[in-house]
Amino acid sequence: MSVCSHYALRFSIASSTSPFNNGGTRLSGWGRRRRTQFGARRSSQMGFLMRSSNGYPLIGVSLKDEVLSDKQPMGGLESVDSTVSITVVGASGDLARKKIFPALFALFYDNFLPEHFTVFGYARRKLTDEELREMISKTLTCRIDESENCGDKMEQFLQRCFYQSGQYNSEEDFSELDRKLKEKEAGKLPNRLFYLSIPPNIFVDVVRSASRSASSPTGWTRFIVEKPFGRDSESSAELTRCLKKYLSEDQIFRIDHYLGKELVENLSVLRFSNLVFEPLWSRNYIRNVQLIFSEDFGTEGRGGYFDNYGIIRDIMQNHLLQILALFAMETPVSLDAEDIRNEKVKVLRSMRALQLDDVVVGQYKGHTKGGKSYPAYIDDPTVPKGSLTPTFAAAALFIDNARWDGVPFLMKAGKALHTRRAEIRVQFRHVPGNLYKRTFGTDLDKATNELVIHVQPNEAIYLKINNKVPGLSMRLDRSNLNLLYSERYPREIPDAYERLLLDAIEGEHRLFIRSDELDAAWALFTPLLKELENRKVAPELYPYGSRGPVGAHYLAAKYNVRWGDLSSDGT
Amino acid sequence: MASLSSPKCPSSSHHAPAPTSFTGNRRFAPSPAYLSLRPLPKRYFSKWVSSNSPKIRHWNVVSMRDAATVPMEPKKETPSKEVENGSIETVSSKEYQELAGLRNHEKDSTVSITVVGASGDLAKKKIFPALFALYYEDCLPEHFTIFGYARSKMTDAELRTMVSKTLTCRIDKRENCSEKMEQFLKRCFYHSGQYDSEECFAELDKKLKEHEGSRLSNRLYYLSIPPNIFIDVVKCASKSASSTNGWTRVIVEKPFGRDSESSAALTRSLKQYLEEDQIFRIDHYLGKELVENLSVLRFSNLVFEPLWSRQYIRNVQLIFSEDFGTEGRGGYFDNYGIIRDIMQNHLLQILALFAMETPVSLDAEDIRNEKVKVLRSMKPLQLENVVVGQYKSHTKGGIMYPGYTDDKTVPKDSLTPTFAAAALFINNARWDGVPFLMKAGKALHTKRAEIRVQFRHVPGNLYKRSFGTDLDRATNELVIRVQPDEAIYLKINNKIPGLGMRLDRSNLNLHYAARYSKEIPDAYERLLLDAIEGERRLFIRSDELDAAWALFTPLLKELEEKKIVPELYPYGSRGPVGAHYLAAKYNVRWGDLSSEPYKA
Repeated sequence: MSVCSHYALRFSIASSTSPFNNGGTRLSGWGRRRRTQFGARRSSQMGFLMRSSNGYPLIGVSLKDEVLSDKQPMGGLESVDSTVSITVVGASGDLARKKIFPALFALFYDNFLPEHFTVFGYARRKLTDEELREMISKTLTCRIDESENCGDKMEQFLQRCFYQSGQYNSEEDFSELDRKLKEKEAGKLPNRLFYLSIPPNIFVDVVRSASRSASSPTGWTRFIVEKPFGRDSESSAELTRCLKKYLSEDQIFRIDHYLGKELVENLSVLRFSNLVFEPLWSRNYIRNVQLIFSEDFGTEGRGGYFDNYGIIRDIMQNHLLQILALFAMETPVSLDAEDIRNEKVKVLRSMRALQLDDVVVGQYKGHTKGGKSYPAYIDDPTVPKGSLTPTFAAAALFIDNARWDGVPFLMKAGKALHTRRAEIRVQFRHVPGNLYKRTFGTDLDKATNELVIHVQPNEAIYLKINNKVPGLSMRLDRSNLNLLYSERYPREIPDAYERLLLDAIEGEHRLFIRSDELDAAWALFTPLLKELENRKVAPELYPYGSRGPVGAHYLAAKYNVRWGDLSSDGT
Repeated sequence: MASLSSPKCPSSSHHAPAPTSFTGNRRFAPSPAYLSLRPLPKRYFSKWVSSNSPKIRHWNVVSMRDAATVPMEPKKETPSKEVENGSIETVSSKEYQELAGLRNHEKDSTVSITVVGASGDLAKKKIFPALFALYYEDCLPEHFTIFGYARSKMTDAELRTMVSKTLTCRIDKRENCSEKMEQFLKRCFYHSGQYDSEECFAELDKKLKEHEGSRLSNRLYYLSIPPNIFIDVVKCASKSASSTNGWTRVIVEKPFGRDSESSAALTRSLKQYLEEDQIFRIDHYLGKELVENLSVLRFSNLVFEPLWSRQYIRNVQLIFSEDFGTEGRGGYFDNYGIIRDIMQNHLLQILALFAMETPVSLDAEDIRNEKVKVLRSMKPLQLENVVVGQYKSHTKGGIMYPGYTDDKTVPKDSLTPTFAAAALFINNARWDGVPFLMKAGKALHTKRAEIRVQFRHVPGNLYKRSFGTDLDRATNELVIRVQPDEAIYLKINNKIPGLGMRLDRSNLNLHYAARYSKEIPDAYERLLLDAIEGERRLFIRSDELDAAWALFTPLLKELEEKKIVPELYPYGSRGPVGAHYLAAKYNVRWGDLSSEPYKA
């Protein structure tokens, strides 16, 4: 069956299911398994059970969905008859070893993979299956909280891993892969997922060869693509055009692993399943929003790739902008991927393109602290000596729609800073006619409410409120109403890649970036990036391990904002 | 906060003596003429953080007789420029010097606190310890005297021995405790006399004068006596032992009557001898930390006020429970019952604070004006909106807990409710149709006082399916736990971490014990200090009291006339099930008895 008709099927399932139908009668075999598994965990974690993983019917598994009866036992007809082959292209790379294989194993360990699945590594290097297994096994780990049978499970998983060596642009080599895949699929309905963990210059070659020679003839074929998706509007459009020559839109899964983070996922839940936040979610109450990303290390000898892109392309244009869009979007019609992505595109298209004077760029320089010397960015041997590539950037963005007109959205991203952190800070306005004005002294800015969502590390949500300090006096204090994940949820939080891989297998597009989203995102940043490069704007230098260039404060001050992460109260 | 550990009274030490801070005090001043004489509680306007300010002790309780001021209308004469322009304004240097000069005169005034009914339980357990705590924290003026007054014959030394048994030092500040205690006790004296004898009070007056010397004398009477002798004491004390040049104030404890008529009669009698602003009707619940914090939460945070109306709030629950019965002291209680004892005052006061409109200022009169408006917008209680209960005996684990009527001090056939639940409604634009549910009971399974605010459903909830069918379980809830274990938490829906999309109600919480290591002062300390400082915000004004009785009196009469039999519930249980049916009638589910595990 063609991929497009698959897509249509999905909508027919979604629309034929009443929202009140709580049980979920049309789940695929995997959906069932997930439900069952959740059911089993109910006793340990209180909460509500839902019908499928993402709030609506699971889809894209097979045609058999429609004919499956409710009484079908788990592991019945459907799961016997279909299989998924996951081919990691670029299997010997860093990302594959550190993230993709471990994520696949974690999914297997937690029983999220279908009964029949095969994992293939594909790369140019000559390796045997055994060598691949040997390589993978080094990075597999079991969940800390469930380590029973870990060795057994690992063994079982590795038995399903195979290797095929070949050129990335050779259709013959992919035909060879196709033959091997067919062997493993053994007559079952084959579904194929390709994970392209390779440099961007060979994306198109692989897609062409794989789609022509190794597509599934009867099931679905999907491609997960990693950033960079071009380096500006033109190159991104070109890449999309090429991909679309061989693939339809819904076969393309552009991954942004930040969208797989637990607290980013939770952002929509917070907004749309609580009454208390949505009324506040607009220019009427929100003064500014801050999206902050910082790493406490530099390029550390791997600056070659980075130098060609810089922090704006590497972090802001994708991760932070995606979070911004999720944060600011209007309520979607449903939780369906297309509905959500439609709303995100609307936000992006309502935004002004970035202006050079609303951006501060920085680059880290060498710094010696406690006898230890930290290298500058340009000390990295893989970085050209005269590089002007920013390793830090701060920017003010504006959404010109009814909800957000005039509210500054500040972004800040940097390498080699004093801390590792990703967070969203929402600063609320002053209380109009505050009765306690005098109690705050002159700095009313310190007295506004703030909602902080800590994406990493130490996932947490807290709301800073003003509170009376207990005692006979009337002294106010900002304290936190907080939810610290590690206290409430002792279970390990899955890695973003696990969620995204599983979603791709299930055909859930919600957390992947659609072509028009990507275009809109580039349209915002491309003029700025060109101007930075044409004018050779020199970045402000900041010491390795510092809080970044002071220019970021002046940028914030221009819009009457104070960075929440660098305030004196420290939290 | 650096200032948390300050040993000084917050009233003086947490106040930065910068000119800006003085502007605040003017709001409490009754008229411009008194501006320089009554810079009232500075603690209400102290700085956010006042770590480095020099600590200057100053006493601000010097004033002319309150009786001379015009009650209820002070704010009209208050200069309001600092309110209007929104910026914090500085006082001219001349004004500043005047205010600074005032502090030099503090030595010339004194406060005498007379506890009438000094040998009673409340005096021993609450009043003297609270006074000592204030003294220990440097909150009492330099010159003060404490007198115990009662009928029993006692020497000063005997009083001191009695008092000393109940004094304790703050857990977190034990240094010099016994020394301080000694100093405090030396300022305590006793005078024995009849409650209705002007001569005896004249003698007290003479003794007070001895201690006051030539200073400006202010006098505070705390009436810790049965209500039937309130008037006698007020008459004698006001006639024979009022201060001649300072203020005289009287603190009165509940019960303030038992219905509209008796309460009005009491007020009338009090007013024969006292002005409104000399009367301090105490409701110690208003002195609780989290009740005080209620206004701060509402009015100093942006995020709550927009939600504070019928548009977002589905219902409000005010819950009070005790885990013990009358335990042989039911004589007083039986004449009043739980509705008068808890609901009509404590819970209704909290309700009024919760529901009032934003006051013009934090001035006592402004706040009390708003509270009265709420009370006057309410429908009187209907019998069908009330459930009454009475506890019966219960045996658990071999221990037998007595029923209410087993109490020897209670008549065998008493119908007095020891439990009541009621639904109240406020017929104004903000609260029309929102049920305010109250529940109060003795001999229940837990000791607790809390406010629960249940929010409405999310309209068009995208995650509806994730909640199953019971959307009621998925609404937000704000819980303010007044006691024990002070806490504030907001129940929110949250995704359970993991690959599925399962939602969970978790709490955004603030647990006081975790955040504030300092001991929270007893409500009586705050209220006594307020009375000394003339701050009336937490005391009940006559018209408030009238409005409160007007709501409950018809119901109370009906209950008594119809001899409504209370639903019996076992000692230590969760109360009569009737409370659930009452809640169900208004589509409410009691938040404290939900099946979810109770979590902080």
